[in-house]
Amino acid sequence: MLALRIKEAVRKGATLVVADPRKIWLTKLAKRHLQLRPGTDVWLLNAMMHTILEEGLQDDEYIRETTDDFEVVREIVTRYPPEEAEKVTGVPAEDIRATAREYARERHAGIFYTLGITEHACGVDNIWSLSNLVLMTGHLGYESTGLNALRGQNNVQGLNDSGANPSYLPGYQPVDDPETRRKFAEAWGVEVPERPGYRLDQMISGLHDGRIKALYLIGENPAQTEPNARHVEEGLEGLDFLMSQDIFLNDSTRRYADVVLPASSFAEKDGTFTNTERRISRVRAAAPLPGKAKVDREIVILMAKALGANWPEYPDAESVWNELADLSPNWYGIRYDRIEENGMQWPCTDLDHPGTPYLHAPRPALPTGRGRFFPVEFQPPIEEPDSEYPFVLTTGRTLYHYNSANMTMREPGVTDKQQAPFFEIHAEDAGALGIADREVARLVSRRGALEAEAHYSERVYPGLVWMALHFADQKVNWLTHDVGDPLIGTPEYKVSAVRVEPR
Amino acid sequence: MVAFTLDGRPVSAPEGELLVHAAARHGTFIPTLCHDDKLDPYGGCRMCVVDVEGAPRPLPACATRVAEGMVVSTNGPITEFQRTLTEMLLSEHLNASPGGRPNELIDLANELGADAPLMLPDAKRAEYDDRNKLMGYDPDACILCARCVRYTQEVMQCSALSLEGRGGHARIVPTWELSWLDTECELCGGCLSVCPTGAIYEKFEEGTSRPERQLEQVRTTCTFCGVGCQIDLNLDPQTKHIVKVTSKDEYLPNEGNLCVKGRFAFNFVHHPDRLEEPLVRGDDGELHPTTWEHALETAATGLQKVIAEHGSQAVGFLSSARLTNEENYLIQKLARTGVGTNSVHSCEST
Repeated sequence: MLALRIKEAVRKGATLVVADPRKIWLTKLAKRHLQLRPGTDVWLLNAMMHTILEEGLQDDEYIRETTDDFEVVREIVTRYPPEEAEKVTGVPAEDIRATAREYARERHAGIFYTLGITEHACGVDNIWSLSNLVLMTGHLGYESTGLNALRGQNNVQGLNDSGANPSYLPGYQPVDDPETRRKFAEAWGVEVPERPGYRLDQMISGLHDGRIKALYLIGENPAQTEPNARHVEEGLEGLDFLMSQDIFLNDSTRRYADVVLPASSFAEKDGTFTNTERRISRVRAAAPLPGKAKVDREIVILMAKALGANWPEYPDAESVWNELADLSPNWYGIRYDRIEENGMQWPCTDLDHPGTPYLHAPRPALPTGRGRFFPVEFQPPIEEPDSEYPFVLTTGRTLYHYNSANMTMREPGVTDKQQAPFFEIHAEDAGALGIADREVARLVSRRGALEAEAHYSERVYPGLVWMALHFADQKVNWLTHDVGDPLIGTPEYKVSAVRVEPR
Repeated sequence: MVAFTLDGRPVSAPEGELLVHAAARHGTFIPTLCHDDKLDPYGGCRMCVVDVEGAPRPLPACATRVAEGMVVSTNGPITEFQRTLTEMLLSEHLNASPGGRPNELIDLANELGADAPLMLPDAKRAEYDDRNKLMGYDPDACILCARCVRYTQEVMQCSALSLEGRGGHARIVPTWELSWLDTECELCGGCLSVCPTGAIYEKFEEGTSRPERQLEQVRTTCTFCGVGCQIDLNLDPQTKHIVKVTSKDEYLPNEGNLCVKGRFAFNFVHHPDRLEEPLVRGDDGELHPTTWEHALETAATGLQKVIAEHGSQAVGFLSSARLTNEENYLIQKLARTGVGTNSVHSCEST
């Protein structure tokens, strides 16, 4: 859907450059495709900045007035000339230069990124690099510009906004701040734990080292969605207690859950979702619940009662929203009566505030009002191809399915288009291995192996294979490794070493 | 702004505005069929013709821009022309409602008092059958306005559909007459959503088809990706099952457009695999249906035992982007106040 806006912009004359290891559909409309090797983003971005500074295309006034620490980045990127970048990324130096020039010279230049940037052991570095590029050119704080994360799932934004995060209470209020904890403790009538929580990756490793003994899964399926998934399954099996609240059984719960509570789909409940542009829109109950299933709000309230928590009555979703908004300054002004028609974008600090279509205007939204440059050096991916595992495997999703596909694999109209597990491989590679187009072949990594149809594809280059995570019978996460970003733990789904062999 | 005359009234409009839009802003409705605000001006069906003083012939309001001093008439002899045009279209319109979608041509005919005097002998066109389970096309309901083809070209910018054949044989087909499943088509159903006569329609499961206007609509937010498209769930008023999903041009952020999942992947809601009862694992190692009371008690005991033996920090919560903000808020509150841990996260936090 988002591509429609990009298509529309290109039709109106915008310049589109796609940086992606795969020749995705949008490359058809792009002026240029930077087909970089997975995991070499820092080289590409530093080389673009190298060009911008070499040719004096940076926005000196913006850098001076609204940023700090520019000099450290200037110093580092001198060591990333485009010619060297070509050797590492595979992208011609002239393409890097041309893109740098076009990006720096166009006032309405936006960067749109997704998991190809974040799902690396150097994911945070990649974001910092992009942020350096944006700050250097002053492409921030007005329309059609900035650094835009495209959220893959309906309410990723809202989940983090609402405080389902080990580091933040609702509204990104840090849990390690005593003042914040006091504020929530007062509102909730109970102390907020001080000890830092575990992130997802720490919980998963905690399954094995004994730190985690019980898991409460809500609409989650880690045995399919987490890297090194066989290892995750072993961890789930070893738990003292596993419970789940979901609409279907899945591979994490069918064999390992002690209790499964039947929950609600989006069509059966009231509330709000927050989209990728921070727009909060209403969700409305339309269909009856099947059997004895309950809406998720009710289930959590019942669990709180069963655990002896002293909560107020929440007669409806709106009463929960109002508690969240009362406690979260940037959400305070958004109330149900204001979003009955179209949604509103946070920050929205009071009841007359119109919402905020774009951030960082007129200055970066930080306490200092100044953006900060972070020097970033290239770190190679954790697992590079070698003689035993000569291919790079990168993973992703397709238009036709949704994540572990517990919903979409139950849609006959959609599975007609795509159902059997497949991976993409260049014809040259497949031919050399004696694998025919659409023939079932094996992918093997240090963690595991799977069998799927080999689809000859021009989207990948020789040496690269690609597979989606949607297939429960042949999980690509049996193959991926689980060493993630050292700072935030995001797994490196985008680079694993594999070998391909005939069945 | 330019000043012009609309049905004898002096009015104004921004320079270059399409006549059909300028008239609408001044409260004058000009009927259209082939026009769509998402698409470039086309002027194909001529239903929107108006009289413009000094023009040698009537002009299509959907493809004519206002100009200073223009004198426009929408309600004189031109209505007779529109009625005749409607009758000509009706004389080839053998099937008014193949899939229950609204039919703007029939609405217009009722409004103008138009009636087909006869059916043309060559009106019947070759059927088009397609093995996909989502969309059907009935050439006998098609008026060849090409809104669908232009949607694929201009909005999706793909080559999924084309206009094939001439005269009485003309019809819309997926490119090269392949199945919808075998072309570049992404099955978004955009062609269907812009079709004014319902010639392209949702295929329903046997026996669930109903006229769209008899369905109940509930507006909500799509459950799939992070765009947050606004959709209307269309429910059968008897069974309360979702039978189709539609959207509207005025909805933000998607402006009426949807993808294959948003428009068609709603059947999971009513799937027989849905969990209908709480389950608790028995001594035999299997999950067994039970009461809510027993399931909640087992769950609370299970968590409390771990807390007692290993502390609150040994319990983790994995929440989900499937859930609303309100539910996520309650889950983190449960983790922090019910169990006493900050360990609440999700697989979507990448």
